[in-house]
Amino acid sequence: MKKKMNFGKNLTAVIFIASFIFYQLLYLANKIDAISMDSSTYKIESASVSNAAARKGSNTYRLVDTLGQLAAGEATSSGYIVKAGFQYIHSIIPFRFSISKTQIDLGTLIPNTFSTDSTILTVSFGGSGQYQVTAEEIGPLTTLNGSNYIQDTQCDGGGNTCSEALAKPWTSTGAYGFGYNMAGDDIPSDFINNSYFRPFPDRNQNEPPVAVMASNNVGRNRQATLTFKVNIPPTQAAGTYQTIINFIATPSF
Amino acid sequence: MKFVKFFSLLFLTTALTFIFLFFNKVYAQSVSLSLSPPLLEVFIKPGKTIMVAYNLQNYGDPVICQAKVLPFEPKDNYGNIRIRSEFEGPIRFSLDNADLKLDQPFFLKSKGRQQILLRLRVPERAPEGDYYYTLLVETQPPPVNEGKASGRAKVTIGSNILVTVTGSETVQIKGKIALFDVLPRFKLNLGFGELKIFDSNDKIPVVAVVENQGRNFIKPEGEIILRGNFGETAKYNILPQNILSQSQRLLSATPSAQIDCGNEKKMPIFCQKPVSLLLSGFFIGKYNLSLSIFFGENTPKLFASTSFIALPFKLIFGFLIALFIAFFIIKKISND
Repeated sequence: MKKKMNFGKNLTAVIFIASFIFYQLLYLANKIDAISMDSSTYKIESASVSNAAARKGSNTYRLVDTLGQLAAGEATSSGYIVKAGFQYIHSIIPFRFSISKTQIDLGTLIPNTFSTDSTILTVSFGGSGQYQVTAEEIGPLTTLNGSNYIQDTQCDGGGNTCSEALAKPWTSTGAYGFGYNMAGDDIPSDFINNSYFRPFPDRNQNEPPVAVMASNNVGRNRQATLTFKVNIPPTQAAGTYQTIINFIATPSF
Repeated sequence: MKFVKFFSLLFLTTALTFIFLFFNKVYAQSVSLSLSPPLLEVFIKPGKTIMVAYNLQNYGDPVICQAKVLPFEPKDNYGNIRIRSEFEGPIRFSLDNADLKLDQPFFLKSKGRQQILLRLRVPERAPEGDYYYTLLVETQPPPVNEGKASGRAKVTIGSNILVTVTGSETVQIKGKIALFDVLPRFKLNLGFGELKIFDSNDKIPVVAVVENQGRNFIKPEGEIILRGNFGETAKYNILPQNILSQSQRLLSATPSAQIDCGNEKKMPIFCQKPVSLLLSGFFIGKYNLSLSIFFGENTPKLFASTSFIALPFKLIFGFLIALFIAFFIIKKISND
């Protein structure tokens, strides 16, 4: 009888302690998960702010409009129908692309020393579907007379060889070339931190432009920092090296 | 006389210093452009001409711009585009502005606005079908920075134009559901089918891909319905996005949960690629998901369905650990 009572007491204690530990674990788990709360980044649809935005019609015309989005609407006539804007989202955010500076100054290059400069890309996008910003270089960094050039980076090489579509670490000052890193909103996931780089695709080599920012979320002022980096070998010929980087921002269709 | 010479020399030196300082300074020019509308859909008969007004707004420093039109094709299933380098197709574009022409530079002052009057003409003998173009406005890169290594950024902003040429005022609607599924954490292959298993706290990524097999772009509408084993249901509307001719597109449903994925090395699958819908909540038991879409009035409905099972693995595991620790503590106390 006493043994049975002891067993009962032990069981109660086990359940009590187990429950306590379990709830502590649960609390801890929830605390860690708090970063993935959804509310702050929910997609907002039908973001029209005015009750005037609506479909209107009669026997002779059809019109859909939304206040705040210029030229969003539909016009019908004999022989054609024109629909402008993302009708279904009625967005008030126009498509806008900004770059904080267009002159990227990599300074006087010193062999085996990284030279960097950065610019900030900003996109406001109110449509649905994907927006994208692509980048390409019009040839590698080349002297003005075109006789010498700095090769595109392959990052640290070996297992850390990067490509136009895959960023890899580039930390060795013995690895030469020209490349870029991305940090911020809507960037490709292979830019894990600021040591990961890619070379730009070269239009002169018929390499297609690659997306450096893309998202299917409605957003205002989505920002990413693009850092250019160059490192030259001691044998690099002297000269003024330059190239053009073409950034193309397009909304979806 | 010496006094005058000294001051002349001083003045010249000061002036030259200022001039060199000013001209050596490289202006960190910023570019900020907005182009609207971002999308234009045109259904037009051969032989017709239309004119569309675009608004180009400069929010940055003064720039020299140039407008051009190039064809594009879909690049992937997500609505991204690949712009072709050469113009092709029967549609003829020109500008109606008195002072602007396509492919010719124009100046846009800071905070300036430029209306671009784009004329689109379909020749009489243009073949019926779809033609996709992008109106591009590109800036001129800054001048070369002498004596320094430099990258010069050129900025281009685009707006897409979908043109359907049809003489009969009818379009071909030929869509099919290419894929409708969930991306599970675990899959269990049984003889009669596949079990897709999630933890109860997992986000459920749903993918729905529609293929357009016709010669005109289509715009699916519809909904995804989630049904639980206790009879609970939730509806998610499909956003009517365009699917171009002879291509596929991942649908988007709303309201979908959005997760801040950060830049972690090991990301969940819905952070690695876009999904149609992300279900968030506590799931337990078997759930059925059904997709129904149509492409406008009087068009047939298409259906697809899938299912998944959610069980509280993490909770059970947590409770077992807690039970083990509790037993260990009790045993130790009893021994003492």
